[in-house]
Amino acid sequence: MNKKGKFAALLLISLTMVLSGCKVTTKNEAAEAPANTSNTANTQQTETADDGSLVDIELLGMSSGEADLNIIRDQLTKNGFNVKLNIQADYGSFKSQQDAGNFDIALSSWTTVTGNPDYAVRSLFKTGGDYSILADSEIDKLIDTASTQTPEQYVDTYKQFEQQLVFDKAYIVPLYNSLKAQALNQDVLKQESVRLSKSRSLVWEDIDFKDESKRATDSLVLQSTMPTLTSLDPIKGNDGSINMINTNMYVRLLNLTDDDKLTADGSLSYNFAIDGSNSEYYFVLRDDINFAQIKDKKAVDTRQRVGAEDVIFSLNRAKDKNSVPDHRTFTLHEHIKTVEAVTDLAALESAKLASGETVKTALEAGLENKITGLTADKTKADHKSGNYQVIKLTTTEPFPQVLNYLAHQSAGIVSKKQVESINTYDVAKFDVNKDIPYGDQNTVTEGAQYNNTLFASGPYILSYKNDYEAIFYKNPGYLKGTDHEPKIENIKIRFIKDADSALAALRSGEIHVYYGVTETKFDVVKGDSKLSLQTMPSNGVSYLLFNTKNRPVAESADLRKAVLYSINQDEILAYYNGNKIKAVSTVSPLVQTGLELKSDPAKAKEFLAAYKAAK
Amino acid sequence: MKPIITDQQRQFRLKSAPEYSQASFAWIVSIALSLLLLLGGYRSETGDFSPVLLTLSGAYLVFALLQLAVWARIRLDLIRDGSIRGGTRVLGYGLMLSLLSGNVFIATAAFQLVRAKKNAAYTLAVYTLLTTLLVFAVSALNLYKPYVANSFLTGMALLLVAAVIQLGALLFLAKVADRSVLPRSTAIIAVILILTALTGNVFALLLGLLLIARLRDGGGSAGSKTGQVIDRLSRSSTSMLGLLFILFLFALSVTSYWTFDYSLAIENNYSAILQPPSLAYPLGTDNFGRDLFSRIVFGARISLIVGLLSTIIPVVIGGLLGALSGYYGRHTDNIIMRALDILYAIPGILLAIAIIAAFGASTVNLVIALSVGAIPTYARTMRANVMLVSTLEYVQAARAIGSSDWVILTKHVVPNSLAPMIVKSSLTIGTAVISTSSLSYLGLGVEPHIPEWGNILKLGSAYLETHAYTAIYPGIAIIALVLAFNFLGDGLRDAMDPKLD
Repeated sequence: MNKKGKFAALLLISLTMVLSGCKVTTKNEAAEAPANTSNTANTQQTETADDGSLVDIELLGMSSGEADLNIIRDQLTKNGFNVKLNIQADYGSFKSQQDAGNFDIALSSWTTVTGNPDYAVRSLFKTGGDYSILADSEIDKLIDTASTQTPEQYVDTYKQFEQQLVFDKAYIVPLYNSLKAQALNQDVLKQESVRLSKSRSLVWEDIDFKDESKRATDSLVLQSTMPTLTSLDPIKGNDGSINMINTNMYVRLLNLTDDDKLTADGSLSYNFAIDGSNSEYYFVLRDDINFAQIKDKKAVDTRQRVGAEDVIFSLNRAKDKNSVPDHRTFTLHEHIKTVEAVTDLAALESAKLASGETVKTALEAGLENKITGLTADKTKADHKSGNYQVIKLTTTEPFPQVLNYLAHQSAGIVSKKQVESINTYDVAKFDVNKDIPYGDQNTVTEGAQYNNTLFASGPYILSYKNDYEAIFYKNPGYLKGTDHEPKIENIKIRFIKDADSALAALRSGEIHVYYGVTETKFDVVKGDSKLSLQTMPSNGVSYLLFNTKNRPVAESADLRKAVLYSINQDEILAYYNGNKIKAVSTVSPLVQTGLELKSDPAKAKEFLAAYKAAK
Repeated sequence: MKPIITDQQRQFRLKSAPEYSQASFAWIVSIALSLLLLLGGYRSETGDFSPVLLTLSGAYLVFALLQLAVWARIRLDLIRDGSIRGGTRVLGYGLMLSLLSGNVFIATAAFQLVRAKKNAAYTLAVYTLLTTLLVFAVSALNLYKPYVANSFLTGMALLLVAAVIQLGALLFLAKVADRSVLPRSTAIIAVILILTALTGNVFALLLGLLLIARLRDGGGSAGSKTGQVIDRLSRSSTSMLGLLFILFLFALSVTSYWTFDYSLAIENNYSAILQPPSLAYPLGTDNFGRDLFSRIVFGARISLIVGLLSTIIPVVIGGLLGALSGYYGRHTDNIIMRALDILYAIPGILLAIAIIAAFGASTVNLVIALSVGAIPTYARTMRANVMLVSTLEYVQAARAIGSSDWVILTKHVVPNSLAPMIVKSSLTIGTAVISTSSLSYLGLGVEPHIPEWGNILKLGSAYLETHAYTAIYPGIAIIALVLAFNFLGDGLRDAMDPKLD
């Protein structure tokens, strides 16, 4: 035993010598000397324990936003919050949790599809807006003021708006502005023919095969995630399942360029003009677009022209909440007062632009033949003889941004004759089980209910679809002989729900264009020689929305500001490898207000302490 | 003069020595690992090899070749003499050095080789020491991190003390374990060994209990039943390695409370996103800059706990129900088994998904969800065993002397029906681990930021092409643990086979 004792003592001594010889920095030591470590985040965490209590906060989101949720959770945790995650699998369950008020902060996102700032704020933040849970008269006033202003004037108004919304009252916490990303197979498609626009959906009629001889024989294959289409009536849907389809099935009075400028190019009008009061808008219509319909699953020309009566009918039903059951887009068009066809040439000459020029000369700019006569009968219009159709639209108040809404898919022109002959039901007594409205997705789904009654004014028409794919054909009567005549005869949309599978389909050549490549997959696309990646800043903004009812965050601005200053956009950008852009509010992609949210742990701590003191 | 032996004799001689099969297993696995390391070290972008992995691969190859040479000598000895010569056994001491390169396959074979006479105590002592050394080595990797946990030094010192004690115990046992009566001082060693089991080293606990059992046995020639099982189990290198891996992970999970810093596994570090493996981040970092190594170590905790709990719960509940219905039969049997048949008709994983969808995702719900679905299979196994055992003579004898049903069940029937349950459960723990990871992978398990192997794999799978290591390492961890449980289950089945009694 004695021998063993000596042995143990020797071991113990050598052990202590070895251990004292090592120089190891423990976590606490690292925290005490923050200069030595690049990881400042860890130092904050140990400091926040001012009175030891963490503030509970419930974060609601969808599993698709798991990465963002994790970053926010991490940043809030480091700044003295105890984050409870509420992750829902899909938008439906997310929305029901949100409606039930089961959250403190909800990870939300918004894409301004019309490309104008009013749309980016009105339905989100104005009292009583479609998606708004706010009620603040000052915010309302700023939104209304900005809507009547020109782009030069509204920059300052939106700056005040952002100051109020984000910094003074902290109703939202902006996170980032996303990139739009689209990958295409450049071995099959002409790369320059595939456009990526800031707001507008993919322009199908421009896309062309590298080998032009394949136009008539091969299909262009695109991808979509949702096989259930909300409705093929443009005013009855505004979501990802139909935006691209309805944009390409119905022509509009105006289009947006790739960088969100208004243009008549590729639209139903030759030209447009705004009168000096900013509340009267004129459009001179083309006469070379016919409606297409489907017969025996193939597209045929109906020989019915798209004209002023269809425009008047379409816009009047677009603004009227009661024109169809389940109208989803009337709020976009609530500023339209009247739409009429101008038949008196003198009216065009008397109306003046802000510059003093007459509306007539403005509309004639670039026209082959000057306007010599106006007609209300669409069959009589003929640009070769100078006989045109002109539409006059008036707004309820001066509102220049109305033109952006006219370029949105919900302002697509439908056939008056066809829609009236299908929608014969009484809107007030609409019965889902009996009445079949125009554009019902069941009428184009293969099976017993198939009865395609669509009349398409756009470049393509949907023939039929199933759960696997949707088949489109070129409209034979669309801008024939012009640059905008559709190039490819036949387009397929393949429904692939999973993002990884869709990318795999693109790489294997099964689909030709894949819209919505995630940032983490950019490297994969760039590494594949047959693929080309297109990216541009989008109008999509992600932000955190605070609950405004029955929660501490609803009452305490201090608590909201503590969250606001805990969020570090630089770290989010680092996570996305720089493939995101900083944002201050949902108008950031559209208006440069010069404001920026800077993370400030000291301020966050201060506000949190103030909140605790008030409690 | 060359003795002439038949082919059959030769085969018999080779099979009679476990060292021979252990040696062949060791060199084959080592060569395979060496090639794997070489392959893993290849960097396609530069066309050269990572120096660390290349060195490691070289070390593995060297020891594999040495082991091959030893294997050849063992073979020669066996064919010629029918036994391994002392000179060959001494070579085992040299091969023990392979432990320095982390090669447990050769090391365990070497520890077995140096001893001509083996027994359960010696084998357990070897594995006890190996486990502590492995845990120590893995924890020591944290030294390369910018900082370590506050209790790191205390934890490492404790591990070192435990290793020293266990080494002492190993040397002591190597000397005395073969004696039929152990010296009195063994009791002290046994108690100290059980104390070192506080580091999570279950081998130490088993060894301590075994020694105490042998002391109390007072040199009875038969030896305890546990001793026999361990004896038989230790002859199979695959099942011992399986057990080693499981208990190593368990010990690591326990010591990680002191030696690992949880914040490295859970806090995002935006300046270290998707770093390839390096000394500071031995397995690289994930897309949030968290250390994958720490995450996998902490993930083992959840995987093991959920895997064990979701096996133990159905074993207990199913076993009880099965025993009752098997022993009482008739109506009891009918009611219990038909009710369980209803449960049996629902696919386990669907039931789990339904339970989690209804009650929300949390670790407790996960355990419940995975447990409920497994109850019927255990009940059926237990019922069959109990029905068989109930007809045996000793049970009838117990009845004849008027023992109560409860006594018969708990004292005679259940203990003798347990072996198949143990084997079955060790085989299904692997399935439970996979189910846990699958559910987390589907987003139905624990919260996404909590390090759990399925979660880690899910994040990594998005980077399979660009940063493959983020998916490969958690994948390997899951595979290894499931494989380990399967190996152990196989070994247990053989060791507990009543036909061997």
